[in-house]
Amino acid sequence: MNTKAIKVAWWEFSEKVKSKAFILSLIIMPIIIILLGAVPTFLATREDTQPIIVGIIDETNKMYLDLSGRLEQKYKLSNGLPNYILRKIEIRNDLATAFSEANDLLRAGEIEGYFYFSSSVFDSGKVEYRARNVGNIKIQERFSRTIEELIVERRLAKEGLDPSLIGRLTAGINVVSIKVTEEREEETGFLDVFFTGYILIMILVYLILTSGQMLVRSMVEEKSNRLVEVLLSSCSAKDLMAGKILGLSALAVLQVTIWGLVSLAVISKVGFGFNVLLFENLLLSVVYFILGYLFYAAIFVAAGSPVTTEHEAQQITSYLSLLLIFPLVISLVIMQNPNSTLIKILSFIPLITPTLMVLRLNIQLPQTWEIIGTIGVLFVSFLYTIWLAGKIFRVAILSYGKRPSLAELVRWIREE
Amino acid sequence: MLKVAELTKIYDSIIAVDKLSFEVRHGEIFGLLGPNGAGKTTTIRTILNIIKPDSGKITFDGKEFTEDVWNIVGYLPEERGLYRKSTVLNTILYFAGLKGLTSHSAKPLAYYWLERFELLGQENRRIEELSKGNQQKIQIIISILHNPKFLILDEPFAGLDPVNQAVLKDILLELRQKNAGIIFSTHQMEQVEKLCDNICLLNKGKSVLTGSLPEVKRRFGKKSIHLEFEGDGGFLRDYSYVTRADIYQNFAELELTDITMSQKLLSDTKDRLFLKKFEVVEPSLNSIFIQVVSGDEKKSD
Repeated sequence: MNTKAIKVAWWEFSEKVKSKAFILSLIIMPIIIILLGAVPTFLATREDTQPIIVGIIDETNKMYLDLSGRLEQKYKLSNGLPNYILRKIEIRNDLATAFSEANDLLRAGEIEGYFYFSSSVFDSGKVEYRARNVGNIKIQERFSRTIEELIVERRLAKEGLDPSLIGRLTAGINVVSIKVTEEREEETGFLDVFFTGYILIMILVYLILTSGQMLVRSMVEEKSNRLVEVLLSSCSAKDLMAGKILGLSALAVLQVTIWGLVSLAVISKVGFGFNVLLFENLLLSVVYFILGYLFYAAIFVAAGSPVTTEHEAQQITSYLSLLLIFPLVISLVIMQNPNSTLIKILSFIPLITPTLMVLRLNIQLPQTWEIIGTIGVLFVSFLYTIWLAGKIFRVAILSYGKRPSLAELVRWIREE
Repeated sequence: MLKVAELTKIYDSIIAVDKLSFEVRHGEIFGLLGPNGAGKTTTIRTILNIIKPDSGKITFDGKEFTEDVWNIVGYLPEERGLYRKSTVLNTILYFAGLKGLTSHSAKPLAYYWLERFELLGQENRRIEELSKGNQQKIQIIISILHNPKFLILDEPFAGLDPVNQAVLKDILLELRQKNAGIIFSTHQMEQVEKLCDNICLLNKGKSVLTGSLPEVKRRFGKKSIHLEFEGDGGFLRDYSYVTRADIYQNFAELELTDITMSQKLLSDTKDRLFLKKFEVVEPSLNSIFIQVVSGDEKKSD
């Protein structure tokens, strides 16, 4: 590394940091995270503000009273009103008219949905819930739990058992997930773990993509205005490439630092956050982060330097982003079984190593040999790619007009 | 001295430059001429180590291209362009930095040249806000700010108005005075005639004509006679000693078997035409260029 590379780096950094694109991306990323992470969680756990009216068709004539009493006792709104109000739909003539009456109410929006208890419900345990929106998991979950309680109690009573005794005997099993690490024990929920890894990966993917795009763009620009000739008559291609990667990396570091400081400030003020900043293995994550970033930067140079138009540059970026996002797509599988052989094998594919390992680190610490092995593979891949990229860059940056064929690329790499 | 020896560059099967040799001394303006596709740009890029030659050797004051050569060459490529979003001063300082100048020492120089090109006051504007001609001036500043020992300019005058052409011409002469070796590639023969000490005319990658300007003119092409007159000059081509005649309404360019025959021509024509001008002229570089290149064309056909 010599002073010219640093001058190129400083130029790339100082010019990009002033650009609108950078300032925009500083703001956009947190917004994406909030949208993808916080909003669904917030919406899912949000308290209702008004009582919800649910219809009941009760053939047993027993469930209505029990259920409304129990619901009122269990779920109250913050203003003291009951969260759920049951509206009984009488079976006057036959069941069919009751159903059509209920459906009318449903369509009119007077009830959120309705439950149907058949006369055999205590034996079969089968309850129907009909609604326009059957995706409202909260209502279904709360009702089915309460209904289950009531039915079980009745069954017990029928057998001559005391429900309260049974309740005492069966109570007290409440699984709290506690993640055990070397230093401390910490209560974490599924969401915390998931989002920690998820957000880290999102940041990595985002940084790689934005930097990669800037890298390819600046190469395309210098090519199209032939500035690259002036640059190459002032410094070596190696310095130019190293400077570009270094400058954009510095930009990424600045970006992460700003996000970090801002989120620290927000969390300390609001006291809200899903353990994002409490991830263990910070150091290891950073190693994967940096290696992954550099590896992809080298790929972007290799793939981007033969490109001559903005349009082609965008294509390259979108292909590479698919590879990057792959671990996110299979993240649920990883969550469920982080130690499966398949996941272990996938971890050694350098293109997905960084994102996959960052995700795994936050679920369960992989074995030491895996960590050393994947870091080794990633590092060697990075060295090889940057060597390859250097060769391609040296020739490709001067190729104008037509895109080089694969055969040409291979020849460039072989050429001394 | 910049020495190019037996330079050859082959693209696929096309020989872009074929065993080209020439020298550019300090304090000399050297014209690298040739039609489109003759191999000028390839030669320039090879000299600047942007591309590698297939064979041949290029030395700067006896040294091959090394780290320090980067800082003593200046280059203005033919196709122009700059970072559109960056400011004038930052751009100049960046390239000066790449040539090894500190920002501290480059700044006064930048202001000096901006003033010379009447761009003072524009230093904090973005490049894209400048006119094409002004952008070109910035590029010229970039190529000369570090006071290069060797300067390579590809069509530097193209796109400049006459005032700025004059400014650039003065600057080039100053740089020659300061002992810079300047390679000047162009199609504009008038500029070459005004500025160049030596030339090399390339065609199809080969050097077809080299030497000092007067030497080339002497060696090439005979002297011709320019006549301006009133009357019908059609009879001029009938004289036995006139070998070639271009006759227009009031003007004729004639080539004679021997330039001493000019006196006979003068006495033969003075009674038949009203002569306004009678001049013995050297062939223009333009006509030499066309003659050599088209002659070459015929030979190869």
